[in-house]
Amino acid sequence: MLVSLNEIKKLVQIPADITTDELVKLIGSRLVEVEGTIDWSERYENIFVVKVISAEDIEGTHLHLCQIDAGKSEPVQVVCGAPNVHAGMFAVWIAPGAIVPSTWDDEHFEITMRPLRGYDSYGMLAGPDELGFDTEHSKIAEIDPKLNIAPGTPLKEVFDLDDVILDIENKSLTHRPDTFGLIGFAREVAGILGIKFEEPEIFSSELDAKLKSLEKSSNDFSIEIADSELCARYTAAIFETKDALEAEKYLTADAIFLAKSGMRAISKIVDATNIVMLMTGQPLHAFDYDKFVAVGGGKNPKIGVRLAEDKETLKLLDGKTIDLNHDDIIITSNNIPVALAGAMGGESTEIDADTHRVILESATFSLYNERKTQMAHGIFSEAITRFTKGQPAVGTRPALAYCIEKLHGEVSSYEDDAPGFNTKPEKITLSLDDINSLLGSDYSASVVKSTLENVGFTVDGEFTVTAPLWRTDIHIKEDIIEEVGRLNGYDNITPTLPLKPMIGAERNQLFDLKREIRGVLSDELNAHETLTYSFVSKALQEKAGEDVEDSYEIVNSISPELQVFRQSITPSLLEKVHDNLKAGFSDFTLYEMNQTSQKSLGLENILTPEGADSHGTPAIENRLALVTTGDFYQAMAYFKNLVEALHIKQLFISYDHAGDNNVIKDVKGFQKPAYLEDSRYVAVFIRTEDNMQVVPLGYIGEIKRSVAKKFKLEDTVSVFEISLDSLTRANRSDKISLNFSKFPSTTRDVTIETEKPYYDIECAIKGILEEAPDLVYSLEPVSVYKAETNLKKANLSFRLTFANTKKTMTSEEISDIMSKVESIK
Amino acid sequence: MLEELKKELKALNAEYAKIKTLPPEERKNFGVEMNKKKQAILKKIEEAEAASESDNLEPLDLSAPAAPNSPIPTFKKGSKHPLMTELDRVVDIYQSMGFAVLEPRQLDDEFHMFDSLNFHKGHPARDGYDTFRTKEGFIPPAHTSTMQNRALVKYKENLEKGLPIAVVVPGRVFRNEDVDATHEHTFYQCEGIYVSKDATMGNLLGIFKHFFSTYYGQDLRIKTQPGYFPFTEPSFELLIEKPKSLGGKGDGWLELLGCGMIHPNVLKAAGINPDEYKGFAWGGGIDRLAMMKYGLTDVRHFESGNLKFLEEF
Repeated sequence: MLVSLNEIKKLVQIPADITTDELVKLIGSRLVEVEGTIDWSERYENIFVVKVISAEDIEGTHLHLCQIDAGKSEPVQVVCGAPNVHAGMFAVWIAPGAIVPSTWDDEHFEITMRPLRGYDSYGMLAGPDELGFDTEHSKIAEIDPKLNIAPGTPLKEVFDLDDVILDIENKSLTHRPDTFGLIGFAREVAGILGIKFEEPEIFSSELDAKLKSLEKSSNDFSIEIADSELCARYTAAIFETKDALEAEKYLTADAIFLAKSGMRAISKIVDATNIVMLMTGQPLHAFDYDKFVAVGGGKNPKIGVRLAEDKETLKLLDGKTIDLNHDDIIITSNNIPVALAGAMGGESTEIDADTHRVILESATFSLYNERKTQMAHGIFSEAITRFTKGQPAVGTRPALAYCIEKLHGEVSSYEDDAPGFNTKPEKITLSLDDINSLLGSDYSASVVKSTLENVGFTVDGEFTVTAPLWRTDIHIKEDIIEEVGRLNGYDNITPTLPLKPMIGAERNQLFDLKREIRGVLSDELNAHETLTYSFVSKALQEKAGEDVEDSYEIVNSISPELQVFRQSITPSLLEKVHDNLKAGFSDFTLYEMNQTSQKSLGLENILTPEGADSHGTPAIENRLALVTTGDFYQAMAYFKNLVEALHIKQLFISYDHAGDNNVIKDVKGFQKPAYLEDSRYVAVFIRTEDNMQVVPLGYIGEIKRSVAKKFKLEDTVSVFEISLDSLTRANRSDKISLNFSKFPSTTRDVTIETEKPYYDIECAIKGILEEAPDLVYSLEPVSVYKAETNLKKANLSFRLTFANTKKTMTSEEISDIMSKVESIK
Repeated sequence: MLEELKKELKALNAEYAKIKTLPPEERKNFGVEMNKKKQAILKKIEEAEAASESDNLEPLDLSAPAAPNSPIPTFKKGSKHPLMTELDRVVDIYQSMGFAVLEPRQLDDEFHMFDSLNFHKGHPARDGYDTFRTKEGFIPPAHTSTMQNRALVKYKENLEKGLPIAVVVPGRVFRNEDVDATHEHTFYQCEGIYVSKDATMGNLLGIFKHFFSTYYGQDLRIKTQPGYFPFTEPSFELLIEKPKSLGGKGDGWLELLGCGMIHPNVLKAAGINPDEYKGFAWGGGIDRLAMMKYGLTDVRHFESGNLKFLEEF
């Protein structure tokens, strides 16, 4: 929304000591977010109203050689191509050295003296488009000679162009329909300056009396509102008009008023309704009376307001025929749709050159329906923007009267149907302490009273506050407290810190765990933390072998790439592995901690209070996925290092998968992922701290060859994806055992040739070492070797270091242990 | 040099042998004297030997990455995601102030997104959030305020014990908007919630000022700007003066949070009596903090998974 400061100044006497800059800052801090200001103060320098003395055709061209009176001693010569230039007219002259106003924001085009067809042309006669008031390019602007402007008068003096326009962020006024008109905006400006706002008289008492006398006195027309929820109030008047559709011939103050608000002059009647809307915030609509009656049949208009039916259609003013739906509010003539209420009129009742009687509508409509209409039909006019804020019913009649007077209309009929207009104002009782204790402020009762009264509230005692009827947003005492705090400036409230008992806040285990994991994987190891989208494509899930039907699907996704909520993180990371390999990286590890979900996991009912319309939300799994460009053992090494750093003591790895299914099927979401190679994965389990149960953590494995191919990965890629929720439950012990021996230790390498798995051999060696009394030892793998000639057998080499804690071991004792170890097969 | 010192030592030892010829009363003094001299020579010898060891070293090009014929030492380092680092830092300050942490759920419902936050059904204010929806009507949250009701319910027993509710909600949120250099459909926010018997708007301003002064390591001025959120009353936006670390020179303001006093209906929806307790809530974006800090101009890097980007952190 654009707001002219000069228009505001016409409604509020701004104290002389407040500069424009300060005023803009105050508005920004106490009323609304000001997105920007457009300074017009220099834009119309060196531009004058002039009288055309003569305009002669230049032969063989469309140009005219003009002599103009610019208030100087000599006439000025200007070449002009516009067809409407003629002797005696008052025009607008951009003098040499001036900037063309419409180019002010971009190219900054400067007018100079230049020869045209052999004639020197000093400056130019400007069209409304060049002046930045319109898009009209076919003619130059003409000023009404009746205004009696002395040639050479600066244009900005004639039309109040030394102005600053505010660009307002509408969103911050969503709840304040009353500020969507200049009067309401100015009322707030008065409030923030601490000035009592004087409500302007926008129509005469004569008209007021006339409307009163006409109301319900005639049977000229009827209004029927189907539901007061849809339309709280509908006022309409019928009046005669001449040249309703004719565009104003001259450049007028109204056209400039519209331009300052980002609108343009169209015709007398449209301009009048727009100006009234910009002033009051109340949109109006005009129907051609005769057409309206003709559509409905019969003698008199029968105005109806109702919801459309799904099969109805309506041809709008812009020529498009739309399919109405059951949320659209429509205006009917004898039940036949003639307008999409609040949004756009229909073609069948359009004002045209022959219109001589008008039905003028000023009504309010349900903002909820208007919003749906706006979305369904994509209409984003100034009018519907206001209707979606919920215009107050109290404003309809004044706006209607204002417009009638502006058009000098002779009203013959008037009706006011207000089934949903609550004329009982909202009364709120609150105390000074309520205000100061919520704000942390120290306002006096008199400040509170004047603050509220300045913007139209009535205040009795301390305090019963009556809200003006246009303040439909005021319902509870907090609303009043907001007014007091805001109008006096929140910035005047002293920041203080709350006093609270020195009790540490509860820790969030999952959040802490994620911090720890980052410390291990990123700081101690060399993995890169990655973030990828929570939404993925169905194609990605299919590539990874996931069941797409089990995904939560987004109905309004931005693209097919983001259509479903992910079931696991690994597929997203595999894509990133591919991208990075392609970019020339090799040997890297990515990991991500994030949420996943699957429909089959069901819903979780988390802390939903009774009576709430909430029946649980999708079960969420918090997971860690790590992907590395290497084989199974690399992923396993990351995993083991992580687990060790986290001091997880009881880890179980299922190498043969016997019994996996019995355990794993009980745990949500964990089935062996289809993207893992069947012969190259393990399941891992931990023991929980709370009940010492063994629960699955997740899987470690190599990406299946066929899946890797689909991700265009040529080399082996390995992953682990584990449940962070399970990990937070893990039995972790920070205790360490320091069993040193002060006696010499022995280190021996041993190689065992075997057909058995490494794990079995490792256990067997440990068994021997554990059996020996008072022994402390370490056992490190050295190598795993298979001869190409015999792939069945492996040579497993270990390094053993051991010592006795009570004495120096004899060589017999050492060789006894070694011979036992060496005999393992 | 070394040779001379050794000769000197030999001579000294020879002289020392005279001790036997001296009268017993002189022997002690003579021995002490001689020993002093001997120690001095021995020290010189040690120094000379050390110097000659260093002199024997091969000359090295210290500007080279490694010694000749040796492998170049490299350390592969990992990286934390800058958004997570920032989120951690923000949460860390709040935790030190005594705030508990709750994370949002990435699939939530209409009740937590809107109803419990005093958004009337069908209210246009809902449009401002450009929410995604699943077929079942679930909502990937468009703000971390989805956790307000849960936080209030979870900790309302604090109030009965005379303790405040103090919670922050860091997490991932979603808006249905097209992605460009300054817009992402997926981003991070941190929400704060504080409820007690005597919470004031002055406290909200105080916490905000304290938080950002700590965050930027500089005492910062703050200011407000009116705003509208259905779940707070009064509502406003908070700005800080541009900090020095971001090139601030005392002018210029950064709009960082939307906030306000929690609407009585929001407290009621959580079973908290608004006549007895008051509170405030605030929420702000994390991505912007990280972008300003690192001088990033394209928000799309964050979710790119591009190692060139990640390795910088």
